[in-house]
Amino acid sequence: MRHAFVWGIVALVLLPFLWMAYAAFLPPEIVYSGDLRSGIGFTWENIQKLAPEGFWGHLGFSLIASGAAALLQLATGLPAAYALWNGAPFWGLFLFTLAIPAELLLVPLYGVLLGLRLLDSPWALVLPFAASPFTIMLIYQGLRGLPFTLVEAARIDGAGEGRILFGVVAPLLTPNLIAAGVLAFAAHWNLVLFPRVVVGERFWTVQVWIADLARRYPADWGLLSAAALLSTLPLVLIYLVFERKIVETFEGSIKG
Amino acid sequence: MPQLRRTLGKAQGALPALLVLGVFFFFPFLEVIRFSTWRWSGLSQPTPVGLANYRELFADPIFLQSVKATLIFAALTLPAFLTFSLLVALALEGQRYERVVKGILFLPGLVTVGAASTSWYTLFAPEYGALASFLPIPAWDQAPFWAMIMVVAFTLWRYLGYGVLVVSAHLKSIPRAVLEAAMVDGASGLEVTRYVVLPLLRPAVLFLTVVGTVLALQSYVAVFLLTRGGPYGATRVLGYLIYELGFENFRLGYAAAVTVVMLVLTVAVAWAQGRLLEER
Repeated sequence: MRHAFVWGIVALVLLPFLWMAYAAFLPPEIVYSGDLRSGIGFTWENIQKLAPEGFWGHLGFSLIASGAAALLQLATGLPAAYALWNGAPFWGLFLFTLAIPAELLLVPLYGVLLGLRLLDSPWALVLPFAASPFTIMLIYQGLRGLPFTLVEAARIDGAGEGRILFGVVAPLLTPNLIAAGVLAFAAHWNLVLFPRVVVGERFWTVQVWIADLARRYPADWGLLSAAALLSTLPLVLIYLVFERKIVETFEGSIKG
Repeated sequence: MPQLRRTLGKAQGALPALLVLGVFFFFPFLEVIRFSTWRWSGLSQPTPVGLANYRELFADPIFLQSVKATLIFAALTLPAFLTFSLLVALALEGQRYERVVKGILFLPGLVTVGAASTSWYTLFAPEYGALASFLPIPAWDQAPFWAMIMVVAFTLWRYLGYGVLVVSAHLKSIPRAVLEAAMVDGASGLEVTRYVVLPLLRPAVLFLTVVGTVLALQSYVAVFLLTRGGPYGATRVLGYLIYELGFENFRLGYAAAVTVVMLVLTVAVAWAQGRLLEER
């Protein structure tokens, strides 16, 4: 009974993924017939059709933008978490920001970016996400698992704070940094409304682009699935590689 | 003075993060209050109108409908989220495939939301959908009730893995001795679950309720991707209303007023969250 229940849920959760992978290679005849039972087939056509729609450009741009945001979050998050670990009194402040996602501030952020003359530039997608309380929290969780005597010993040996942070602490924290980086990347990758609002079509991320494609070709399962599959693949691959670490980091952050 | 210098020394590392959060979080957070007193299209010069936006807001049937949609959405999503998180976590506990399944369930929350919604759309669309030719798919593009169910199902699909992780982490912290003691006293497996495990999971349920409420207040990406607030505004939750007012109707001042209402609600819930979690 419990096995059936669990695997039933797993099947339902996986269904959209399996469908995506299947439909991406579905020949147009089957798609146009509108009936899945009309046959089976395999084709690369859908993927080839993505290029003229501009898929690869948006995908590449998304990779760069999300990658930059994730790296910046690690670069600002590591020293911030280190400062918290040393007793800097900002914990409450970060917790407060944690409750409110950037997308809720869509309207005022638009105004601020307008004032800074950053609208419709790639910076509008990256700078607001250069620091994230969530990333800081995940790194801080990792730091709390390390013995603080490590830092004290390094201080007695005369190492500067920068040296301690990057030479001693960071290497021990690599797994947490990777997990935090992947989650930061995924969170940025999944923004839809924000990029749609602050930049024009030129700088649309792949998410916004797919949402638009779905409006233009609502019935072309093959084309849509090919785009969906290829835009999901980078994240799924990263996730599969680091899955254990990510789930553990997450569980750690829940236990607090 | 030395005290202050020590604090500053400790805080140094947090400066870059604080700078970014200051410019792109705290400043907008205050600015939105100012914007909410403007009539402003985003393109033209703003005109100050005082509290007119708020007065209009509380009499606006669209706003009231949106509050209702948000409440319905939360009332459907939360209990289902809690129930399934508990059931799946309990069913998984101690199974050989526990880790694999948790990994799979967590996947939808991470992968590309645009792609996921596209996949859902091509599968479940009532007219063009792949399932429509051999399953009776309700016309959720026209029936308000089914549109809401669709958005709820999509949201559950995305966050179930997270709920399971939370419950599971708490399950692991229940000492085995407690369960064994209950067994020795003659309780059946089901009784142990009902009278021992569930009460001990109260903190997890509480935590998920609060997280779920915040999520429910903010779930509008699914709405944007699947229903665009329709049909007839049935799924136009508050978060989506902000987007629609601000960037489709170009009434940014009015949208700012809705944002302020949302922020007050979110902060209130977050505050309650802090209080509840302290109690555990």
